[in-house]
Amino acid sequence: MANTLRLYLTCIRNTLEAAMCLQNFPCQEVERHNKPEVELKTSLELLLNPVLICRNEAEKCLIETSINSIRISMKVTICHLEVKQADELENILAKKFLRFLSMRAEAFQVLRRKPVQGYDISFLITNYHCEDMHKHKLIDFIVQFMEDIDKEISELKLSVNTRGRLVATEFLKQFI
Amino acid sequence: MILLQSPSRFLLQILQDRVLSGEKGMDIDCHAVEFDDVRYHIQLLLGAEAAFYPNFSMRNPKVMVLSVALPLPSPEAILCDGLPLDAIEAIKAAYGPVVQILDPPKDGFDLTMKINLTKLPPDEEQRNSILTQIASVREVVLGAPLKVLLKHLASKTVAPNVDKLVALVHRPNESFFLAPQADKVTIVYPMRFQDSIDIVLATSFLQEFVEARRTAALNNVPSCMWSPVPPLELKGVPAEALNANSGFVTFVVYPRHVEGKKLDRTVWNLLTFHAYVSYHVKCSEGFMHTRMRRRVESLIQALDRAKSDAEKLKKLVNGGSFKRLVCTLCK
Repeated sequence: MANTLRLYLTCIRNTLEAAMCLQNFPCQEVERHNKPEVELKTSLELLLNPVLICRNEAEKCLIETSINSIRISMKVTICHLEVKQADELENILAKKFLRFLSMRAEAFQVLRRKPVQGYDISFLITNYHCEDMHKHKLIDFIVQFMEDIDKEISELKLSVNTRGRLVATEFLKQFI
Repeated sequence: MILLQSPSRFLLQILQDRVLSGEKGMDIDCHAVEFDDVRYHIQLLLGAEAAFYPNFSMRNPKVMVLSVALPLPSPEAILCDGLPLDAIEAIKAAYGPVVQILDPPKDGFDLTMKINLTKLPPDEEQRNSILTQIASVREVVLGAPLKVLLKHLASKTVAPNVDKLVALVHRPNESFFLAPQADKVTIVYPMRFQDSIDIVLATSFLQEFVEARRTAALNNVPSCMWSPVPPLELKGVPAEALNANSGFVTFVVYPRHVEGKKLDRTVWNLLTFHAYVSYHVKCSEGFMHTRMRRRVESLIQALDRAKSDAEKLKKLVNGGSFKRLVCTLCK
């Protein structure tokens, strides 16, 4: 499992390195405006082909690029209607954690407050972010973020299960 | 604290303070809610306010009035005069002359008791044990019918006037069910929770109960089952009592679990099973929040590392340290 994650993240890292060459580009329609083109999609010639990287059917990452901005969206949860009980716990923990992160989007400048439809969490990086920050370190951050989400969710799940076991054991011990 | 304690800390503290503070009186008028269902109101009124409660104020610094509001019973539970069956007898047996039940109870409460502290035994140990008993009023009142049933189990008989399935109140508008037999009592809890996260966490906790029961060390404890659909024991129960969103937990208690001293503990544990699970669900949510907050901090640090030195300097110039920086440069 750890190995497939490594490959997935390396693929994302390479794609981001290739895609993240942003430049300042004023809006073509409105004078003296400068907007992230990937959000507005006003002129087709400024957009590049989006890249979709999938780890499995549940986890995928969409990278949309334009001349002055890049949008990275991630999906980590399963939204099948008939999920197994164990997965439901993981799902709800993931949702809770991602909502927690989105609510703090202000603190992460590059985090989008609302994920793109069909995804769980999105980043929006503009050319200004790239000017303020080192590009390779920004990519490091994105990759670490993905890695951490994965790790955190599995750790949360483990801690819930451990606690449940302890709570149950202590309760049942009372009857001995 | 993993296990819930039977005496209410709040009541015990007030009673002990009162006993220790001697003759001089002071008004006490305290409310508390326990486990989101039982409400306590303890009063000792000496001054002008006492006139508003002529029935419930004794104008005596050694007599306190304790009122208890029990959770609203669901339709299938059996009560007599608003109290669980056998509760009055249980109170009398547990407290003796110290406590006197006032009838009718105060408005909005189900039970009002006068606690006469002058009648406490002089020996400190005995006194404390009586006070602890009074603070465990929840166990005495709500647990009374359960205790009677389990006592019969200990002597391997079935009480003569008991139905096949008994419903007992443990939460507002919710009850759990007992199927008493001569050699075992089957107890079924329909588990309900409000929040969607609570439901999922509680469900996984309840499954852990079943798993934990399978380990060798816990071979002798009551067998425990969990199922998402009502078990067979609950046949004939009205449908609205069966809309549990976290499934059904079944414990099977044998006489060996209720013999001698174990009885009280078993009664308390079975009575507060829902509160126990709910308490731990909330605890683990709190723990998760702490974890997530820490993770956010570490991620923000990772992002800060990405910021170039120029950006950091810009911040410094904009901030309050600008003047100091200029001053150092000038020198």
